[in-house]
Amino acid sequence: MATTSRSLADDIRGRSDAELIDLVLARPDLARPAPADLTGLAARAGTRASVQRAVEALDRGHLQVLEAVVVAGDGADRSVLLQLLGTDDTKTVETIVQDLWRSALLWRGADGDHVVRTVPEVLGAAVAGLGVPMRELRPSSPPEHADPDRIRATIAEAPDDSRAMLERMTWGPAFGVLPTAAPGRTTARWLLEHHLLVPVSTDRVAMPREVGLVLRGGRLHRVAELTPPDIEAHAVSLVDAAAGGAASECLTHVDELAAAWGADPPRVLRAGGLSVRDLRITQMALDLDPEHTAFVVELAYAAGLVADDGEVVPVWAPTSEIDEWSSSEAGHRWAALALAWLASTRAPHLVGRRSTGTGPANALGPDVQWPAIRAIRREVLRELASLEPNRAPAPASLRERLAWRRPNRTAAVLDEAVEAVLREGEWLGVTGRGALSEAGRALVAPLVPAGRGDGGGGVGVANTSNGKRAARRRGDGGSGVAAGITSTEQPAVTVETVAAAMSAHLPSPVDHILVQADLTAVAPGPLVGGLGSFMRLAADVESRGGATVYRFTPESVRRALDAGWTAADFIETVRRSSRTTLPQPLEYLVSDVARKHGQTRIGGAAAYIRSDDEAVLDTMLASRDLAPLRLRRLAPTVLVSSADPRVLVDLLRDNGFAPVHEGQDGTVVHAETPRRRAGSRRRGPGPMVSPVDRPYTQSLVDGLRAAEATADQRRVEDETRPGPRIQAMDPVVTLSLLRDAVADRHGVWIGYSDGHGATSRHLIHPQKVEGGRVRATDESGHEKSFSVHRITGATLEG
Amino acid sequence: MNDGPLIVQSDKTLLLEVDHPNAEAARRAIAPFAELERAPEHVHTYRITPLGLWNARAAGHDAEQVVDALITHSRYAVPHALLVDVADTMDRYGRLTLTKEGLTDSPEGTRLVLRTTDRPVLEEVLRHKKIKPLTGERLDDLAVVVHPSERGTLKQELLKVGWPAEDLAGYVDGEAHPIDLDQADWHLRPYQQHAVDGFWHGGSGVVVLPCGAGKTLVGAGAMAAAKATTLILVTNTVSARQWKDELIRRTTLTEEEIGEYSGARKEIRPVTIATYQVLTTKRKGAYAHLDLLDARDWGLIVYDEVHLLPAPIFRMTADLQARRRLGLTATLVREDGREADVFSLIGPKRFDAPWKDIEAQGYIAPADCVEVRVSLPDGQRMAYAVSEPEERYRLASCSDAKLPVVETLAKQHSGEPTLIIGQYLDQLHEVAERLGADVITGETTVKERQRLYDAFRTGEITTLVVSKVANFSIDLPEASVAIQISGTFGSRQEEAQRLGRVLRPKGDGRTAHFYTIVSRDTVDADFAAHRQRFLAEQGYAYRIVDADDL
Repeated sequence: MATTSRSLADDIRGRSDAELIDLVLARPDLARPAPADLTGLAARAGTRASVQRAVEALDRGHLQVLEAVVVAGDGADRSVLLQLLGTDDTKTVETIVQDLWRSALLWRGADGDHVVRTVPEVLGAAVAGLGVPMRELRPSSPPEHADPDRIRATIAEAPDDSRAMLERMTWGPAFGVLPTAAPGRTTARWLLEHHLLVPVSTDRVAMPREVGLVLRGGRLHRVAELTPPDIEAHAVSLVDAAAGGAASECLTHVDELAAAWGADPPRVLRAGGLSVRDLRITQMALDLDPEHTAFVVELAYAAGLVADDGEVVPVWAPTSEIDEWSSSEAGHRWAALALAWLASTRAPHLVGRRSTGTGPANALGPDVQWPAIRAIRREVLRELASLEPNRAPAPASLRERLAWRRPNRTAAVLDEAVEAVLREGEWLGVTGRGALSEAGRALVAPLVPAGRGDGGGGVGVANTSNGKRAARRRGDGGSGVAAGITSTEQPAVTVETVAAAMSAHLPSPVDHILVQADLTAVAPGPLVGGLGSFMRLAADVESRGGATVYRFTPESVRRALDAGWTAADFIETVRRSSRTTLPQPLEYLVSDVARKHGQTRIGGAAAYIRSDDEAVLDTMLASRDLAPLRLRRLAPTVLVSSADPRVLVDLLRDNGFAPVHEGQDGTVVHAETPRRRAGSRRRGPGPMVSPVDRPYTQSLVDGLRAAEATADQRRVEDETRPGPRIQAMDPVVTLSLLRDAVADRHGVWIGYSDGHGATSRHLIHPQKVEGGRVRATDESGHEKSFSVHRITGATLEG
Repeated sequence: MNDGPLIVQSDKTLLLEVDHPNAEAARRAIAPFAELERAPEHVHTYRITPLGLWNARAAGHDAEQVVDALITHSRYAVPHALLVDVADTMDRYGRLTLTKEGLTDSPEGTRLVLRTTDRPVLEEVLRHKKIKPLTGERLDDLAVVVHPSERGTLKQELLKVGWPAEDLAGYVDGEAHPIDLDQADWHLRPYQQHAVDGFWHGGSGVVVLPCGAGKTLVGAGAMAAAKATTLILVTNTVSARQWKDELIRRTTLTEEEIGEYSGARKEIRPVTIATYQVLTTKRKGAYAHLDLLDARDWGLIVYDEVHLLPAPIFRMTADLQARRRLGLTATLVREDGREADVFSLIGPKRFDAPWKDIEAQGYIAPADCVEVRVSLPDGQRMAYAVSEPEERYRLASCSDAKLPVVETLAKQHSGEPTLIIGQYLDQLHEVAERLGADVITGETTVKERQRLYDAFRTGEITTLVVSKVANFSIDLPEASVAIQISGTFGSRQEEAQRLGRVLRPKGDGRTAHFYTIVSRDTVDADFAAHRQRFLAEQGYAYRIVDADDL
């Protein structure tokens, strides 16, 4: 930057296109809605909301430098900055200052760097835990009270207890309550008398910034942490094998969840979510611990595989998508889950936690919605991706790194979330033994933009969903699928790439089982689709993991027979799939169950016809007119029909019979219970967010440039127009000026914005000011009414 | 992914594919820390438990070896969480130690101290309200005094809270008595010697050897090592006699030095063999023979068949922690789940025989287990359906339909020694009458019983009908055919005992037959299902046939 500026607006107007593009990419909120011109862009960059957002996105290194610039004051020398930071790493500091300038938190004037006016507001009065400068605390105090040498000398003379009190306040907070008891009071009084503390109210004291700085030895922070802390990592082997195993198990869990809920869907709570009891039942069915179960349930939900079916009494049921998902290739199945997890704004680790006011958070409930988790998840994965392959981070150092990246987040909450992400990644197979797997890397690849190196990067990739103002636990009740809001990211990763990366490491499906005499069958790996679902139907799962142990029981065999298998098919399927000879007791078991199966039969009929005269019934059966009744003979003297008894009676009468209505007792209607499926959730294209990307930004900047040119021209026009320049002013000031003019019968030049936003100048003679309007005669002598809120400024004629 | 024989499941079971070429190596690698749970023909199931891991720790294995064994032989990647859990669990053993420490300022000599290497652990356990009263004065941050009498109870409680203590407090020598092995015409087998050494080195603990592997000799070896008066606790009188005979034959001990302390005789000698039953007999609410434990200054206590050790013996053992204890058993699995008490009161596993040796011993006799299903006649089905639940079992198992089947089977095996076992006397008498065989029940006199047994042994009679009572009688002779006509499946242990009578390895390699006759579609069949599962898990062949197909 060669040119010197007088303000942020000047600075921004003087930036090159490339620099402007960088700015908008770093702070995408500046681009929406598109500002009118560069002045508008600068104004927006200076608003509190936008600055707050930018400051929150800073890592600790950038934050420390920014704090140092604020404390050093406008236009301070670089050496002052280095002194405050306690470092001699000029290069790093320079890079960071450049970053801060690039993201328009600093602007450059003739006399050096200035912080944007709102930055100190956002950082608060206590920058880095320091107090307020002496002249702000006590405008009347003589300047020598703030002189470091005097302060140093005074502290040196201070009694021990007074110095101890000062030391307690050194690293903040720089405020204290005046002790009421005698010894403390005396100690404090000494400090007050020597202007090391300043009273702010009757019982509170503050330590001036200058004193704090002297106590800190001229440094602002205990330690300068300008560069990210290193992640300790150790080499691990078999990462992809472990991830593959976990992924395979994860798929099994979702399969089992779908099977369990398809058969017996749990109720949707009135407040949304799954009841604690149903979660526990699911947990027993899956044989997992509670956290893991909550994860599987939320994962299936995020992937759109289970949903609220939206009926009158709503239940959680597998969606119609699950059938397609189940029949896909394992790699694709996994990719669908992993991508859903990556995009989800739900935090399964919050399930069971007590949220304020209500009971524990329910799985699938609104309390589990926590948009910040997605940013955290991505950051964790990004950090994992920054490590060499096959290296697992020590969790503590990873937590430290993230705390450095996001100094504004509450440490405990962040740590917990990081733990949860690591755990979930392990369950899902994104990581294996703590290190990012190959598939995990493929998944994360788009999150790690090329060219933006690790470490000293800019303000970081500010994610639109990453804002504290985004309600932390906003319940949206409905869609948990946050279809990719990929504002600043590159195009989303394709299912194919991820699937391909995982496929190679998934245990290859086996097509056989080992059946043993104790009526167990061991599947020594994930079973191929058809066999897998047969086994889930025909046997109970006893043990899960790399292999699955199934046990045939009379109940499970009956289940298969109920589903339409015959004993012969059953035995044949098992025999074909088994590598071992079929034990005789199993064959016996199946035939024994089959022997009893169907001994008694139950069906549904709505009406029956009894007659001792079998010939009458024969006629009815033969009658073409009665065909719609679908009469069926159960016994020589009994016919049944699925038609309503009244219809039956009418129709028989029409056909010349003389039936008598018998009481309806004893006719029971059994309805088949079909496997329930909720309608597919309409997954719209997601929130309509088009990315603030380079082409967009380019066109935006072009627009701004053009607008700037127009604005320049308007300024030139302004100069040529009649009347004085009118400064924008506070409406209160304008009003008082207008009232004066009414009283003095003076003419007034006003700036007036019309319906199109254009500001024009008028010379008016106001007559009355009331109800937010000014009645006046204009230059042409016509009486007109002007709205006060449209008057941008006013100045007296002459 | 390597092609190992082992699959590690997330529920901490290990599946071992038996037919895999590396199955033996894998079995050897996991045997020290995993317990064999099921052994059907193709895939054996082992389970990793904290006790198993601590046993391995006590035997000198470390977590690294365990993890290595799992990773080396596993076909799929072992869940990371499981490996971490294994390491954590193993790390808990030995954080607390019980030691005997000399007192400098007291002439009394020593005191028992619970010491830790990790202060928070000690703080944690001392906060338990069951543990606190067992300890005395706090010595420093890392040690606390323990009342010597609470040594056993403390170990039990510590194990319950998951911090097993390593007992290094040593043992009293006891009253010396010269005992040597008389190895003129035989020698301890290498694995027996290893077992003795393992035990002696560890001080106290359990030796796991399959039936027939010579557990008695391990006991004798331990006695020769201790050279002190010994109390041997056994399950029953027969076993007591067997021990006595073996000791006389294999050691320098003479008949006069060995006493039998049972229902019949009450001898206390330098080596005394007592039954669990006599020790646990109560008279007027108190254990009448508790004095036996203090009758002499025993240097060694041997527990035969630890897996059957009755609960009261545990309580008594808690007070005997200063004496060397040797437990002998074929399995550490207990029906009542008191494996933890065996671990804390008798000691960790000191030796485990590799499976190959078990097979070499011919442990599993070729046996043919057949379940014969009979259909109840319609009349009985009706009676069964309307009967009270408590009557059902009797109705089902005493069905007349079983009688012809018994006859058929007896005819098929005529000439072979056949036992017919049942629970209900009426039914037994009826069967005996139809077969023209003799009956032994609880009412049969000892003399008569002896006569019948002798006749059965010599082959004079080939068929005996015995009740459940007689079935448990210890001197029941061997048979090659057993037909069970009624009897519940009580526990795995009981069933094993019953089958053991028939399924001993036969001298001539004949196949033993074990028939169970079961009424179809009744509770009888439900019990049979348990039996079937148990036998299949033990690796026995099992068939089900219909009575009509015999």
